[in-house]
Amino acid sequence: MKRVIVIGLDGLEPKIVEPMLNAGELPHLARVRAAGGYARVRTTFPAQTPVAWSTFATGTNPGGHGIFDFIRRNPVTYLPDIALNRYEQRNAFLPPKAVNLRRGQTVWDVLSEAGVPSTIIRCPCTYPPDDVRGRMLSGMGVPDLRGGFGTPTFYSSAEKLDARESESVVSVATNGRDTIRTHIVGPRNPQTRSDLRVDIELDLHPSANKVVVRSEGQPRALEVRQGEWSPWLRVKFKFGMLQSVNGIIRFYLVQLEPAFELYASPINFAPDAPLFPISSPSEYAGELARQVGTFYTAGMVEDHTGLNNGRIDEAAYLAQCGEVLAERERMMLHELDRLERGLFFILFDTPDRIQHMFWRFREPGHPANNGGSCKEMTRVIEDHYRRCDDIVGRALAHADEDTLCIVLSDHGFNSFQRGVHLNTWLLDHGFLALRTDARAGTEAGDFLRHVDWSRTRAYALGLGGIYLNLRGREAEGVVAATEVEQVKAAIKHGLTGQVDPERATLAIRGVVAREEVYSGPLVGEAPDLLVNFAPGYRSSWATALGGVPLGHFEDNVKKWGGDHVIDPKLVPGVLFMNRRFRGDKASLVDLAPTILSALGVPKGQAMEGEALLA
Amino acid sequence: MKILVIGLDCAAPELLFGVAGLSNFRRLMENGCYGRLESVIPPITVPAWMCMSTSQDPGSLGVYGFRNRTSYAYGDLGIANSRSIQELAIWDQVAREGKKANIIGVPPSFPPRKVNGISVGCFLTPDTKADTYTHPAEVKDEIAALVGEYPVDVKGFRTDRKDWLKDQIYDMSRKHFEVVRHYLRRSDWDYFQFVEIGLDRIHHGFWKYHDPKHVQHEPGSPYADVIRDYYRYLDMELGRIFEVLSDDTAVLVVSDHGAQRLDGGFCVNEWLVREGLLVLHEYPKTVTPFAKLSVNWEKTKVWSEGGYYARIFFNVKGREPSGVIDKVDYEEFRDELQARLEATVDDRGRPLGTLVFQPHEIYKTVRNIAPDLIVHFGGLYWRSIGGVGYRAIHVQENDTGPDDCNHAQFGAFILAAPSIPLRGEISGARLLDIAPTLLELGGYDVPSSMQGRSLVRGRASSNSAAPPLSIDEEEIIRQRLSGLGYIS
Repeated sequence: MKRVIVIGLDGLEPKIVEPMLNAGELPHLARVRAAGGYARVRTTFPAQTPVAWSTFATGTNPGGHGIFDFIRRNPVTYLPDIALNRYEQRNAFLPPKAVNLRRGQTVWDVLSEAGVPSTIIRCPCTYPPDDVRGRMLSGMGVPDLRGGFGTPTFYSSAEKLDARESESVVSVATNGRDTIRTHIVGPRNPQTRSDLRVDIELDLHPSANKVVVRSEGQPRALEVRQGEWSPWLRVKFKFGMLQSVNGIIRFYLVQLEPAFELYASPINFAPDAPLFPISSPSEYAGELARQVGTFYTAGMVEDHTGLNNGRIDEAAYLAQCGEVLAERERMMLHELDRLERGLFFILFDTPDRIQHMFWRFREPGHPANNGGSCKEMTRVIEDHYRRCDDIVGRALAHADEDTLCIVLSDHGFNSFQRGVHLNTWLLDHGFLALRTDARAGTEAGDFLRHVDWSRTRAYALGLGGIYLNLRGREAEGVVAATEVEQVKAAIKHGLTGQVDPERATLAIRGVVAREEVYSGPLVGEAPDLLVNFAPGYRSSWATALGGVPLGHFEDNVKKWGGDHVIDPKLVPGVLFMNRRFRGDKASLVDLAPTILSALGVPKGQAMEGEALLA
Repeated sequence: MKILVIGLDCAAPELLFGVAGLSNFRRLMENGCYGRLESVIPPITVPAWMCMSTSQDPGSLGVYGFRNRTSYAYGDLGIANSRSIQELAIWDQVAREGKKANIIGVPPSFPPRKVNGISVGCFLTPDTKADTYTHPAEVKDEIAALVGEYPVDVKGFRTDRKDWLKDQIYDMSRKHFEVVRHYLRRSDWDYFQFVEIGLDRIHHGFWKYHDPKHVQHEPGSPYADVIRDYYRYLDMELGRIFEVLSDDTAVLVVSDHGAQRLDGGFCVNEWLVREGLLVLHEYPKTVTPFAKLSVNWEKTKVWSEGGYYARIFFNVKGREPSGVIDKVDYEEFRDELQARLEATVDDRGRPLGTLVFQPHEIYKTVRNIAPDLIVHFGGLYWRSIGGVGYRAIHVQENDTGPDDCNHAQFGAFILAAPSIPLRGEISGARLLDIAPTLLELGGYDVPSSMQGRSLVRGRASSNSAAPPLSIDEEEIIRQRLSGLGYIS
């Protein structure tokens, strides 16, 4: 094959795709299936986007690339942190550098060495971007200007305005005025520890249902119409001596009256002037923006935070996801137009984010529905799958007989109705201890703040991982090497088959030790135990950051009502190819060898899978 | 804590601070303190670098410029070299306390100074091929292996061949920095100081294209950005130096004086002739340097050596061979001449603002043979021309070749170090304060011979333990995880 086109549709669920295929609702995917085949593809332990796509890219289990979760922990401080990348600064005089924590040799590394070009767009864990023969645009892992996954800002004239999760709030006073003076909240100045700002003026036009944002940015006057996502505003935050940071931001006017409510997206890196490199070559992001228009550069771009916090509604969220899908498609078509040979990969994240926020509408009894229901939202996911199918169709137009087309998802999807407080379970079963003055519940805080490490043998951080407080590894470890197997066995035995007493259903299908599912040089960084939840269950919200709430179970009442971090066997992804392939045991580790084999390049030494083409 | 001193000869604070495009200099400033640095009188490379390194003024060192009178005989001028200044320098104190120091190109360091480490001769080295200009001697071979022929200066930098001059300056600077990086990485050092002379040469060669206020400024010249670009080049080299530093290093960027435009040359000996103080047997038909003039010493009271500043010498009875001025009249004469010099005007009759200094008033001690007066014509906006035959007091051309700028009294410094107690812009810092400051930061004793005061006096914290993990660390983690929908 001269070319391989890989389209990732994050989170596409086989149990939804298959009936739709059979009902003729996904004609282009059906074409691919007819030309080659379809199978369910095994996902990773755990079934998480950065883990799964890293395995896709390297062809190794997570023990080979080192990404085991969104969240990793530091055994010296016991603190959680983002697992995808970190920043290092060799001395105070060098600028900080981003370091990708996904290691291993990727399929594009192997191709580059063999002289075959690749274009890789928005693959998770490609930040900072690799040196690739070809082009790369970083995906999940790129921060917003505040350094996180995305912190939006909500402007409101309401009397009481409290910040909800992961957002900034700015109080504004309208007082019958036409113009409000306010500011855009920018990055934190590391030295003064206050937020950098750009001053803006909001001209209110209630009769025209719009607001105009005036500033020193570009454009100087930005029109924001109610109910529509505004175009991009480019701003510069100044700090210190002649130093400035560029960013792009867009707005959604929720309402002008009676209260003023304006939502601002997280501030993304400007494609042509990112704070840290997001493309390879470094000019590529700017060039792409000039060709297809300014685009979201942050690793997670869908405004689920705004929806989760109730700042924007489902319609606004869907509209924004639609824009993201459209801009991603423009990137895809621009690159496919000039794809001569080699590998082309692009990931569409939106199906995953849509399913997280709309799954609850398929389940009338979902705690997040609050007893209500919403008929027009029940088919949102299927509608979105259809849009993705259209995109596949447009991609297929660029495939000739020398092109292998692969469409796949990294994992499936399921319900998230009940959260499990793993640390509290460990506390109640004597594996974890709190200091005498602390108790489970909100006062226990998060970040394992009040844990008495001298009496703690295991703790949970992240989305389903349990770590042993191991002597010689953790700073205050107590579990001796000789006791490890016994502690693991005890936790396994205790958690497996755990039933949710309120629902009388199985919550935890099993617990696996990392050695059972991982191999390779980086296994030492993985949690010692992985919890496999049953459908509907997941690590609770507080558990990921080391909280110890009251009780073992809680209802998930957030709008983020669907998820997939459960037993991986329950959430395989979908795999389509336009050539016949052996699909019965297909796994994500097989994709890299398949791509390499199609392009005539020997597979990488560490790759564990096999080429699937028949 | 190790100490690295990056000397940029003639760096001007106006061109270093708050200038776009100098991100590495700025990073240093943000990690420490910076400001204008008042130089010595006269603000000249020799003795200013040694004044800084010894924290002693020119009078105490007994060196008042490159050329100094070696006796009271007329015309007995000697060129300063490393043997002229042997006072206790910062690297000597470092050695006294058992640590190692490297000095590269710190004027004057030919013949090479014997340090507890490596020393490489400065721009006064006559011939790097023939002379031993390094200590130990083998270093010369290592340098040759690294960069081939090692240019200590751009000979003939006062030239009209500007493209050639620019290329030579860059070639020299690149080689210098390569040698510096090599020894930063591969040698054992606790104190490391080097001086890059290229910046001084670039200023002298290209100032008029850069400064719109220069009388000979040519707008739209292709050389308009040469100086700005060289500062950017230095910024890039600074970044490369950062790459080879370890964590526990204090970094000082410093200059011995600043730079400013030249408005013209003041022919000081012509002026003395006109004032009747300098008497020649014969006024020369063409422009003649002072040394070649036929001076009537029995009638002459005052003569001068030119340069960026003027050294004024009196013909004193019982001191000079054919002295004329009586010793009892010396002070009154000196004060009156000072007043006359301060009243000098430019070619349009406007007061020049000339500054005149008496050595005994500005130095702690006066050793060797000091000039009787030191003069900064027009506050150094005017050179002093020593030759006679111009038939004018004010001229535009320089007697030693095209040279667009003079030295300015204030240079610059940026000092950054882990847990340095000083932050932001510092005013009132003087060149002589540098050595005591560095020694105190490094935990060394400050010898009593040093005249300046430490800028961190009593405040330097040595080996402060890293603060325990605080709320800040958690805050940073929360920021990093903010917006990750999978968690709350």
